[in-house]
Amino acid sequence: MSESRVSDRAATSSANAQRPRGARLPLALRGLLRDLRASDVRALFLALMLAVAATTMIGFFLDRLDRGLNRQASQLLGGDLVLESSNPLDPRFAEAFRAAGLEMSPQLGMVSMASHGDSFVLSSLKAVSPGYPLAGRVELESDASGEDAQAPGTSSRAEIPPPGEAWIVPRLAMALSAEVGDTLTVGRKQLTISGLITREPDQQGGFSEFSPRLMFNMEDLDATGLIQPGSRMEYRLLAAGDPAAVQQARDAIAPLLASADNAEVRLKDVREDRPRLGRSLERADKYLSLAGLVAVLLAGVAVAMSTRRYVERHLDSAALWRCFGASQRQLSRLFAAQLGWLALLASTGGAVLGLLGQMGLVALLERFLPLELPAPGPLPLALGILTALAVLVGFAGPMLLRLRQVSALKVLRRELAPLPASAWVVVAIASLVFGALMWLYSGDLMLAAGLLVGGIIALGLLMVVGQLLLSLMLKVVARMRGQGGWSRPIRLAGGMLARRRGASLGQLVAFAVTFAAMALIALVRGDLITRWQAQIPTDAPNHFAINIQPGEQQAFGEQLTAMVDEQAGDSQSELYPMVRGRITALKGESLLGRTQQRLQAAQSDQPAAGGMQEGRSDEGDGEQQGVPQRELNLTWHRDLPDHNRLSSGEWAPISDFADADSETRSRLAATQGVPVSMEEELAERMGLVIGDSLSFTIGSETVKAQVVNLRHVDWESFLPNFYVIFPPGALESFAHSYMTAFHLEDERKLAPLVRDYPSVSLINIDAILTRVQELIAQVSRAVELILGLVLLAGASVLYAALVASRPAREHEGALYKVFGAGQGLLARLQAAEFVLLGLLSGLLAAMLAEGAAVGLYSGWLGLPVVLHPWLWVLLPLAGGVLIGGLGFWLSREVRRQPPMAGLRALQ
Amino acid sequence: MSHNASINDATPASDQTSSDAQASATPAPVLEVSGLAQRVASGEGRLTILEDLELAVQAGESVAIIGASGSGKSTLLGLLAGLDSPSEGDIRLFGSSLAGLDEDGRAALRAGQVGFVFQNFQLLPTLTALENVLMPLELAPQGDIEAQARDWLTRVGLGERLDHLPRHLSGGEQQRVAIARAFVAGPGLVFADEPTGNLDTATGERIAELLFTLNRERGTTLILVTHDLTLARRCDRCLNLEAGKLVEWNDEASAPAVATPQGGDDV
Repeated sequence: MSESRVSDRAATSSANAQRPRGARLPLALRGLLRDLRASDVRALFLALMLAVAATTMIGFFLDRLDRGLNRQASQLLGGDLVLESSNPLDPRFAEAFRAAGLEMSPQLGMVSMASHGDSFVLSSLKAVSPGYPLAGRVELESDASGEDAQAPGTSSRAEIPPPGEAWIVPRLAMALSAEVGDTLTVGRKQLTISGLITREPDQQGGFSEFSPRLMFNMEDLDATGLIQPGSRMEYRLLAAGDPAAVQQARDAIAPLLASADNAEVRLKDVREDRPRLGRSLERADKYLSLAGLVAVLLAGVAVAMSTRRYVERHLDSAALWRCFGASQRQLSRLFAAQLGWLALLASTGGAVLGLLGQMGLVALLERFLPLELPAPGPLPLALGILTALAVLVGFAGPMLLRLRQVSALKVLRRELAPLPASAWVVVAIASLVFGALMWLYSGDLMLAAGLLVGGIIALGLLMVVGQLLLSLMLKVVARMRGQGGWSRPIRLAGGMLARRRGASLGQLVAFAVTFAAMALIALVRGDLITRWQAQIPTDAPNHFAINIQPGEQQAFGEQLTAMVDEQAGDSQSELYPMVRGRITALKGESLLGRTQQRLQAAQSDQPAAGGMQEGRSDEGDGEQQGVPQRELNLTWHRDLPDHNRLSSGEWAPISDFADADSETRSRLAATQGVPVSMEEELAERMGLVIGDSLSFTIGSETVKAQVVNLRHVDWESFLPNFYVIFPPGALESFAHSYMTAFHLEDERKLAPLVRDYPSVSLINIDAILTRVQELIAQVSRAVELILGLVLLAGASVLYAALVASRPAREHEGALYKVFGAGQGLLARLQAAEFVLLGLLSGLLAAMLAEGAAVGLYSGWLGLPVVLHPWLWVLLPLAGGVLIGGLGFWLSREVRRQPPMAGLRALQ
Repeated sequence: MSHNASINDATPASDQTSSDAQASATPAPVLEVSGLAQRVASGEGRLTILEDLELAVQAGESVAIIGASGSGKSTLLGLLAGLDSPSEGDIRLFGSSLAGLDEDGRAALRAGQVGFVFQNFQLLPTLTALENVLMPLELAPQGDIEAQARDWLTRVGLGERLDHLPRHLSGGEQQRVAIARAFVAGPGLVFADEPTGNLDTATGERIAELLFTLNRERGTTLILVTHDLTLARRCDRCLNLEAGKLVEWNDEASAPAVATPQGGDDV
């Protein structure tokens, strides 16, 4: 501090003896701005800024999403009450709604082909009726240009597509090579495209993302001919009204819902059942925030490291102040004010970064966001500042407290090193503060507590392993007895690294965490996609055809066979019949009347990529005691399908049943039940063994069945797969349709099939796979954005570590030079130190990443565990190069200094 | 034990060269300075610390440089050792001129030939006593360096404290380690900058005793900077740094500017 400042201070302090606090603020700010020249303050600033950027970026994004969703919850749902079923709804529901005075709008959803010329695209159809939408408005592209789709006889734009017209999303128009005014064909009906949908107020979930929307008038539904006995449709009844009416209606339909007839009717209620999207976002909320907190943690470590240096630097001036008569309190207030300003400035910078970052997030995820986001609010900013302060208090607090306690004697006895704050105190307080932050951001005390404890354990483990690595390295380098160009520097560097245990461990762990995080995301992304693609044999089916009507299936099959050219690599599977049925009794015990659990899984009845999977029940599927709540696709087949494998039991009873005469069959069906084959995992979940009986309800009738064998199914074979196989002769009387899968190299051959069989839906698997890949890629990118922050935070740790250790390095370097080391040796010494640090960090990171991957794969993602040997080579190398290079470059100043300056460095 | 042979018989390479070159003439001075000047930029202008300084030190001599605080003693020492470059003048160490050498060259000259003792010990805090003493040996190793280091530490009375870190040693003990470090490589010349400055009188006395004993036993040239007149008087020669020049000083001449009891650093 120069002389002019001294007099300033004297003047201000005497003049402000009566008002000590007010005048000190400007002094603190001035002091801070001067201090920004020092590298440790810069490191502190940078770290705090990163911490705030990380949390505000995610905070802004999620806050906007949250507020938007809340604002439009009912709108997203489509109404205050929504009933869904795969069968036509009981008319008593509508009566109840009407009686309660609710506004209603029936709706129908299905997936089918739309075609225009030679193009045909699988579309998500929505037949709407007047009254739709109950909230909000369908927005069309033509709205912007001012040319509205006119409903006949009205002066304003129609709310719904008029009869004979269709509104489609631009994606569909592109795929069909059509535009407004063109005609497209749905089923047997031709519709004129009169609008391009830019926003649909209600989001029904499932495959709407994969199949583009086609909205048309309910009046045209019959003409399309798409409603066939075996077709898969979703009937919906939307209702809205004031809360009292809604409650009245809800009470009125409760008994209806509980009755057996309406077992598969689902009620969605905006109060209890947020759209699935909302729930997934809640989870994403938590995980995103936690990811951001990793960046905060690293920033905290950087703060801790640079604070040490800060304290060292200010110890002398603090001691001087004390000599001049400042009290401990005055001293604390001065430093607190300075650092408060630092936090404020850093928060502002960080918030700006965060705002920019969240714009990036929105841009990346725009296609999956259901709505327009409101402008960023102030809450995340406040949280950001709070975070900065918390980090400062938690990670720097204990050390800063030392400044208070400095004695004036320090000035006189220069050989006393400043007492470092006890490391345990720092860790304890930092953990508490960090835990509080985690709780704040995740909103889940158990999760935060669990992660904190888990994190501390993991940290402890990392330190232990890090310690072992250091000792191992020491042993290895000690053996390098040679005096050649690199062995001495490596030996010396290794020794120094190992000796400076505390600092080295801290840096090791921080870098390892950063590298591991980046590696993990790359791993998961690569593995998911690679594994998935590897699963698919090259001649696997690339198309599914569903909804083939019973009368058509022979002709369809023959036409398809004619198209299949085995020379070109085409293939075709059999045609399988499909009937929808629900399991309503197990081993004689009825399942009806048990409380219907709220179904959670996708109720979409579309075949998923990867075979005709019934949504292989994972945790999220609606299962009650292992029994699927929704309807299964039942099929019949005389023999064991080629791609299935019997795991226990005999197939004979099934083929025997098929060959028996109708009298025998009826007798069997009535007594033991129809022999059926069951998929082994489902059987296990339901607790069924060979010989057990169960009942299916199909339509309004019940069929009794007996398990005679268990099958192993390869769900990823992309061939038609079924949980339950009946013998022929049991289910033919029920409404059913056929499906098949095939591989066609030349897609154009499909055009005549589509024309001739308009009710058949052709699903292009490749297209779906590509879309899913895009989805994964897009989300990964968003996550990488966040992890980019983590990487930056890790870099700030490196910077802080260098800053903190700079005087020590200067001193070392100077002493080595004094005793005769040349610059070359010194350079090699420092390079060796950083490279060794990087190598060890990479190794530790590889361990961490691999371990985390194992846990992640087996525990959460349900993938088989795979080891990644390349990781163990790549990460250490990358670490060595990155940290070696960066550290070496950042410490070049130290090497250039003449020894005299360096000798003074520790003073 | 091999260490005896290696330490006692180690002769600085340049001494051999010089003695070869001038077989019968007087041996060349270990240190020769002519026309040395040092100016630094300071605030308003340039400050002249040393001006036209001359000095010659013979092998085995002990020389004390005294002077008032701020006279530039430590600066001079730094220049003499090649730790810094002068504004003007020539310094010859072991017969080689420092002028033409760069940082690396000067360092190479120092390796194994020059030892240092500092006022504040300057031990590396993360190394044990033994490792600190090993440091110069690692830069110019000959023979079993660990044994040599251990031997020296024993010689200065710290044989039991080999594995202690500097922070576990008292001031006097640290300085003894520093002395062991200064001498361990068998240098021909040892610089000492206020070696007793941070020590109490009794300890300082012991350190001084150690230094001079080693100087006598090994014939190591000793160049001391100090403000302590008692210490200065024990040396063969005493020079007073005044107005940037060195002047022979003896008791009878006018007393030099009084040194302060506590030393801060010079410029």
